[in-house]
Amino acid sequence: MEKDSFFDTNVIFSYSNYNDQSKEIIKKCYLYVSNKKGRFILCGAVLEELFEIIKKRARIHKEVISKIENRDYSFEDSILISKRDIPFAKQLYEKLKNLEPEKVSLELAKERDISKIAIENFLRNKIDEKVIPVEQIDKELIKKIHDIIPNHADCGILASALKLQKNRDLFLFVTADGQDLNPKAYYFLKEHFEINYKKEDYIFPQLKNLVFEI
Amino acid sequence: MVEANERKTPEEIKQRILEALNDKPLNAQEISKAISSNWSTVKTYVDDLINKEKVKEIYFGEKNIIYQKITGDTYFDIPISDEERKKFRTLFYLIIQEYKKRKKFPTKTHLAKCAVHVIKNEDSGLSKLPIVWYLYGMIPLMISDPSQDYQEETKFEHEIKIINLINDFIVKKGEKGSGQIQIEQHKEYGEELYTLSDEFFKITNLSEWDDKEILEVLNKFFIACPVDKEFPEIFDLTEVVLSIIRKLTIMNIPLQRYRKEILLTFDSLWKLIALYKFYKSKTIGKDAMNKETLLRFYVGHAFESRRRNLQETILELNSTYLNNLANFDISKIKLSKEVQEVRKIMEDWTGED
Repeated sequence: MEKDSFFDTNVIFSYSNYNDQSKEIIKKCYLYVSNKKGRFILCGAVLEELFEIIKKRARIHKEVISKIENRDYSFEDSILISKRDIPFAKQLYEKLKNLEPEKVSLELAKERDISKIAIENFLRNKIDEKVIPVEQIDKELIKKIHDIIPNHADCGILASALKLQKNRDLFLFVTADGQDLNPKAYYFLKEHFEINYKKEDYIFPQLKNLVFEI
Repeated sequence: MVEANERKTPEEIKQRILEALNDKPLNAQEISKAISSNWSTVKTYVDDLINKEKVKEIYFGEKNIIYQKITGDTYFDIPISDEERKKFRTLFYLIIQEYKKRKKFPTKTHLAKCAVHVIKNEDSGLSKLPIVWYLYGMIPLMISDPSQDYQEETKFEHEIKIINLINDFIVKKGEKGSGQIQIEQHKEYGEELYTLSDEFFKITNLSEWDDKEILEVLNKFFIACPVDKEFPEIFDLTEVVLSIIRKLTIMNIPLQRYRKEILLTFDSLWKLIALYKFYKSKTIGKDAMNKETLLRFYVGHAFESRRRNLQETILELNSTYLNNLANFDISKIKLSKEVQEVRKIMEDWTGED
């Protein structure tokens, strides 16, 4: 019997951005979701992060339009986007700077909307079970994970997966995170829990990191 | 504590309480201090003012009560000085008189916009009177009401100039409808967001909707939408609303089918944005109000309720979109070359901070 899949945000977001020209990992995410096997599970932390990412992307697009409208505008002065977003905003600006702001806004909106339709379609038609709303995430467990995994959003998602795994058959934790959740880091975290939180008897879902899948 | 009120009549004490509340709302201790009397004495008079609807209580939590003066004649009861009040009333009086001389009577909009026309002109000597941007454009902070029996309460230094300005307005705008003079004012002061909102309401007021035209206006609205660190939700919620409308068209759903939901949602969005514009116009410039005071005592509740209303209408509109999504084949969407290029650039972006 196929194992159920518990999704990390990046898989869904990558799936939503797929097209013929996409790089390998996005194709893998797209195929994984499209060729659905087993039940798909989504936790509140992922849902929240997805909405946050959707919001951030619109803010980047808005900044690109502002820069096209006013060439003197500096992304570094932006109150909307983070430092990590700036290189992407700059690349978009370079690509689109010779178009009219209205045309740029229209194309960027299309890009966002099509991705959102894919996400909302995924949420509506592919997800079998929504679990652990954000207010029910075990905050103590988040802290324990945070000792090893720096990203707070990842910690919330993992904490949800661990909480759910306690009462379930082994499921897959499906991610496309090549850094914090690479197999080595994941098994290190697992080992850390086995040593330091033996009594709590946490069971880790089986990692399925699509970055490292052939 | 000295009972300073012993020599004063109850009416005088109440007047002093109202004066103390002129600048901003106060708590019990602050009122007592302002009129040099203890709270048990002052409370009787405050309760009387509450009963007469001249003061209201604002609760912060269960026990913290702040007392706010009800002016009743300014937007959100924002305080203005008695001198400003007299000037506003006199200006409204003069405008009504000039309309009457021409056998006309101003509408509320004519009265407000004419007053702005005078105040904005430096030669009127009234440029310190507070004006704000709100739902229908630039208006006096004091509510203009043509049905009020305004009197000449003060003598203006530049009365002749003021009357000339009023007549100048009546000649140019007197015959025009309220909606028209609003639209013209938005253009005159270059407030693009207001102009685009006018345009949206105009084209959606037609019996047949042109979706392409609607999307074009909304696209411009997105570009003009303010981005503010203090109120990031103004931009975020605008994007949510516009995106739902755009997604309906991507799915080839005629927008007119959801006329009611779209209009209600845009109207709620506009009410929130207009309140934001109101807030900005009261917190920028030389007579700017303290931001915290303005938010805490005057417009904070309105922001909350408008945000809630907008979220409710968004839910309604979004449910129509989601219902259509159930029958939509997403593989039908064809990506343009530009969208593919944008995706290529963004494919390493994860959204992580």
